[in-house]
Amino acid sequence: MRWSVFILATLVALAFDASLGTILRIGESQPRLVLCVVVFALLSAPRVHAMRIAFLAGLLTDLLAPVIRPDGTQLVVIGPWTLGFALGALAVVPLRSLLYHRNPISSAFATGVFAVLSAVVFVSVWVLRMLVLGDETPSWWPGTNAGEVVRQAKSALASGALAVPAIWVLERTRGVWGFSTAKRVIPAVSREMP
Amino acid sequence: MDPTRLYRFLRERLTGPRRDWTIAALALVLALLPARFLEAWTNDLSRIVSVPVVPIMHGGMALRDWIRPPREAFDPRAPEVIELEMSAERYRTLFEQSRLKTESLEREVGELKGIRGRIADPRVQLATASVVGVDPTRSGGLVRVNVGSRHGVHRDAPVIARGDVFAGVVAQEPGEFVSMVRPAARCSLAVRLYPADGATPDRAPAAYAGTVLKPADGGIWLGDLFASDIDVRVGDIARLADERLGDVSRGLRVGIVRRILPSEENPLVRRVEVEPIATLVGEPTVVVAILPPEGRP
Repeated sequence: MRWSVFILATLVALAFDASLGTILRIGESQPRLVLCVVVFALLSAPRVHAMRIAFLAGLLTDLLAPVIRPDGTQLVVIGPWTLGFALGALAVVPLRSLLYHRNPISSAFATGVFAVLSAVVFVSVWVLRMLVLGDETPSWWPGTNAGEVVRQAKSALASGALAVPAIWVLERTRGVWGFSTAKRVIPAVSREMP
Repeated sequence: MDPTRLYRFLRERLTGPRRDWTIAALALVLALLPARFLEAWTNDLSRIVSVPVVPIMHGGMALRDWIRPPREAFDPRAPEVIELEMSAERYRTLFEQSRLKTESLEREVGELKGIRGRIADPRVQLATASVVGVDPTRSGGLVRVNVGSRHGVHRDAPVIARGDVFAGVVAQEPGEFVSMVRPAARCSLAVRLYPADGATPDRAPAAYAGTVLKPADGGIWLGDLFASDIDVRVGDIARLADERLGDVSRGLRVGIVRRILPSEENPLVRRVEVEPIATLVGEPTVVVAILPPEGRP
């Protein structure tokens, strides 16, 4: 797997989500291309890279999503999305053996699962941060925690829908990513080959 | 501590799942750090990471604005916008005009079918006319309709409204294209009074109360009932039974009984007050029944 391609794709996806992706917004829920890119990589890359893919994408997401605090200043908190993507990866990687990962529909399902779990961790980390630190305000301030959960769930559904065309397009670029294509050699077949 | 040795130590010890869990623990610690420990360096790191992303975002925003222009870009005073609004108004007016015309034609067709169904004589012709003028000097005066002798209209031709309501008669020799109509409320009419819920089929018309309605002040008719044993109620329908107006008009509705009063001159006579159902002034279109020459009154 070429990490440079993954980082570039993640940055482009984050930029898409922050700009052109807003035209896909329905109400409060906006699909996120970065989730599709991460799931595509998780389903295609070697398993040993899975967690690193999630950490890196989560870190970039955290860094590009500063929080506006009540006093007007901004704060970048590293961790909520990083941990969320990690949990999402822990759920999606075992699905590789259950899903035909080149099928956009199954990838969309995986994206939905990934989005829901990462959102759960994201909200949980912020709630934990509020409980531990006391004076902290979450990124969805002045909204409520429950409202944020609902919004994230809608966004997860929308991301699943976006994953169908997005992963179909990403499949067309599979050669650029440099995923390992090694196959298991079946002895009986190999003996028959000239 | 020597950084090289630290790096080598970490590289050797942190491999596989242990490295992943270490990163996760580090991320959890960072996530729970107070703001004062983060804002010193995470904001700067965020700015650095955003450097390669911002140009792509800029392009994305430009593309977004091209696909879906922001509302601020809409100028209501732009000439093309004004032109479009005027066109929309023009076509809306034309559409409404067509709709009204369609409604009017449907109403006329319904009236003609209703009248034609009542007339047994196929030689009777029906002409649809519009009320084009009223007498402004008096209430209930002559009304002008836009059909005349060129259409076959003749004197005393009955004028029918709403399909089965007697509205008047052509008052004098019609003009070429215009006729003067005397409203029904200004005519003396022989009528029979039928119950509002309809006549009984096996009962002869002569069994219903008959009277001659005479115009009275206020646009109503008054009629005297001599037969005291015939039941007449408020709300009964007065229908034409006047030989002078021909067969076409027979049975047309004229008015509704509003009051039944004792006669001042004769205690055996009852006086009915009948209110017209339709006034010519209130009808946009009427139908003039053109009788054959031998059937004219």
